[in-house]
Amino acid sequence: MTDLVSPAPPSTEPASADPKRSPRGWMLWAIAVASMGVVIGSLILALASEQLDLPGLRAFLIAWIVIPYVVSGILAWWRRPESRLGPLMVATGFTMAITPLQWSDQPLVYSVGHLFDMLPAALFLHVFLAFPTGRLTTNAERLVVMSCYITALVPQVVKVMLGVNPDSVFVVVDRPTIGNLVEQLQLVVVGLLLLTGAVLLYLRRRRAGQSHRRPAALVVDAFGLALVMLAMLYAAGLGGWPASETIRLVTFASLGLAPIAFLFALLDARLARGEVANLMVDLRRNPTADPQGPLAHALRDPSLRLAYWLPKSESWVDQGGEPTTLPQADERRTVRVIQRDDEPMAAMVFDRALEDEPELLDAVAAAAGIALENGRLRAELRARLQELKGSRIRVLEAGRQERKRLERNLHDGAQQRLVALSLELALLGESAGADPILSDRLARAKTEVAASLEELRDVARGIYPAILSSHGLGIALESLADRAPVPVRLTVDLVEQLPEPTEAAAYYVVSEALTNVGKHARATSASVRVRRGGVGVVLDISDDGVGGTDPAKGSGLRGLTDRVEALGGALRVSTSDEGGGTVIHAELPCP
Amino acid sequence: MSVASLEVAIAEDSVLLREGLTGILRSTGFDVVAAYDNADDLLVRVRSLPPDIAIVDIRLPPTHTDEGMRAALQIRKHHPGVPVLVLSQYVELGLAMQLLAESAEGVGYLLKDRISDVADFVDAVRRIAHGGSAIDPTIVSTLLRRRRADDPLVRLTPREREVLELMASGTSNQGIADRLVITLRAAEKYVSSIFDKLGIPSTRQESRRVLAVLLYLRA
Repeated sequence: MTDLVSPAPPSTEPASADPKRSPRGWMLWAIAVASMGVVIGSLILALASEQLDLPGLRAFLIAWIVIPYVVSGILAWWRRPESRLGPLMVATGFTMAITPLQWSDQPLVYSVGHLFDMLPAALFLHVFLAFPTGRLTTNAERLVVMSCYITALVPQVVKVMLGVNPDSVFVVVDRPTIGNLVEQLQLVVVGLLLLTGAVLLYLRRRRAGQSHRRPAALVVDAFGLALVMLAMLYAAGLGGWPASETIRLVTFASLGLAPIAFLFALLDARLARGEVANLMVDLRRNPTADPQGPLAHALRDPSLRLAYWLPKSESWVDQGGEPTTLPQADERRTVRVIQRDDEPMAAMVFDRALEDEPELLDAVAAAAGIALENGRLRAELRARLQELKGSRIRVLEAGRQERKRLERNLHDGAQQRLVALSLELALLGESAGADPILSDRLARAKTEVAASLEELRDVARGIYPAILSSHGLGIALESLADRAPVPVRLTVDLVEQLPEPTEAAAYYVVSEALTNVGKHARATSASVRVRRGGVGVVLDISDDGVGGTDPAKGSGLRGLTDRVEALGGALRVSTSDEGGGTVIHAELPCP
Repeated sequence: MSVASLEVAIAEDSVLLREGLTGILRSTGFDVVAAYDNADDLLVRVRSLPPDIAIVDIRLPPTHTDEGMRAALQIRKHHPGVPVLVLSQYVELGLAMQLLAESAEGVGYLLKDRISDVADFVDAVRRIAHGGSAIDPTIVSTLLRRRRADDPLVRLTPREREVLELMASGTSNQGIADRLVITLRAAEKYVSSIFDKLGIPSTRQESRRVLAVLLYLRA
């Protein structure tokens, strides 16, 4: 595999650099051992308890929750040290392990266990809402979690002191009725907060939409389900429903499943690492394809986008060479710049959830190194092509403007003066009276002026068709058709006016085509059709002549093709299958 | 309406031409009541004190594109009683068709060059002012120049072609007779023979046949 990595491997640098120390191995081992001890302890407590029904099942349920949370927590802590989720999950597992203390016959142990009875609910909520970074991102989330912690602890102390449970050593006054009221209130509030948490998860999932990676979405679904079930459990406790034991089972089952879904997502990330090998095969098999698709596939993030850095113009472009800007990292997306030789080369914009897998990103970036380099070269080429196209259009447009100006100058200058001169000669002729020689010479001068005017008119029309800028393409084409050497059937299906450069190009195409009809085609009629279609305007000019027009020979058609292509259009000359006449098909885009 | 009392309003932005035109029209008995360098003033004049004929340059300020043409079309539409003559450095059949769209009565479209053929020009102005029409001969001759498959025009005699050109330019039967130095009856005979040969539905009205002939030649 190393042969694909260039001698100078691209270094990567996360856009949001927040390096965290990795936890020591022994620490994680110690946590694992401790959790085993806690599980065994709760088993002993359960079996020794005299007040507990089905002690084995209860102990199993505790283990069912403690073990997945602690194991997932340890793995997350190890794989993603920069995320706070690992420690948080470990804490949740251990807090859950405190609750079996209630099963003890020792009054103090029992009483302490009872005090923390509700705390796991708040921790579950915290873990679920903090996924995947371990941090709560919105104020709503922070408020809900904080309220849940307070509701899980403060009323708990109050109701115990009021003596809801006479066996507790913390009873201060014997007012169990008020205590029960506090308890009911507490259950209602906690239940509502859990449901709010589920709603927040749902909203977040909807906002993430398609761009969210699938495994992450699965985890969020599992979390939402667990929160709803937990709220149900409290509601059942409140209502004293007979089915509450079943609900407890289902709730515990779903609470334990949530970290399993989380583990699955981690595993998926590991599987994704296997994709790196596939990615390299992909990129090698198809070296000219842009790596964006394969990268998105390998990272399982369909929203992934690549941008390339062009050092010459110091700007970012997309794979098509179009200028682009890197988006600001937000709660959904993040940006990673891939460096080469201490210079940015490319940037990946992707789902924030991927940030938790820095090794995967590194591996993918390294595997795509050469492909990214190629992609950058291609993007640069395309950007230059765009630039070239732009300057070609600008040159053409400048020429058009210049011709327009010249025509205008002729019209306002020489042509007007010649008309005035011819008028002057006419008046002079009238006052010359009967002198035959003078009248004759004046008449000759007038004829000369008239001929000059006519020639000048043709020159001016050749320089720029004034009728185009003054009356639009439709009328301009009509006048072309009227002056054509053969009758022309003209169909113009255009609703709105086109930009003048496009109109001018269309005019020249038709003009040159009709001139050719007169020169070479031996035709007796022609047809011109102009309509909207494709990217802009479509022109079809055909005649009933002998065909065989070769665009390479006539410089007129060659120049026409250049003009059309400069605008990003296309021109095709062919011989008709039916009549054998010439068919010109041109497509002009509208900018 | 006597010739001496024909009132003319002009819109032409070139000083040379405006003054030349005014001079010629005055010397030939017209009353040039207003001469402007823009179309808006002309429109105001037509609205308030309609002249017997408005003469307008096709390219006028501010954009020098189609201000004059638009003014002419507006006069045709809103003041059909005021005849209009459009002058231009170039003539286009498409624009002629726009001017003639409603009717060929009291409308003209001529190259500026024609002014210097004073007699013909004055004649055309007078014809338009009296509800006739004047279309620049270049339009007709261009149409006649093209080659066609199975051309019905080849059936016309050279004389008939001449008459056709004059007819399409808006010349009356009397005008044709004068120009070709033939009798009015002979001119009428030529006209009906042309209509027969080309299969154009004949019309007695001289201004209406301009449009008919142009449409025929154009098809």
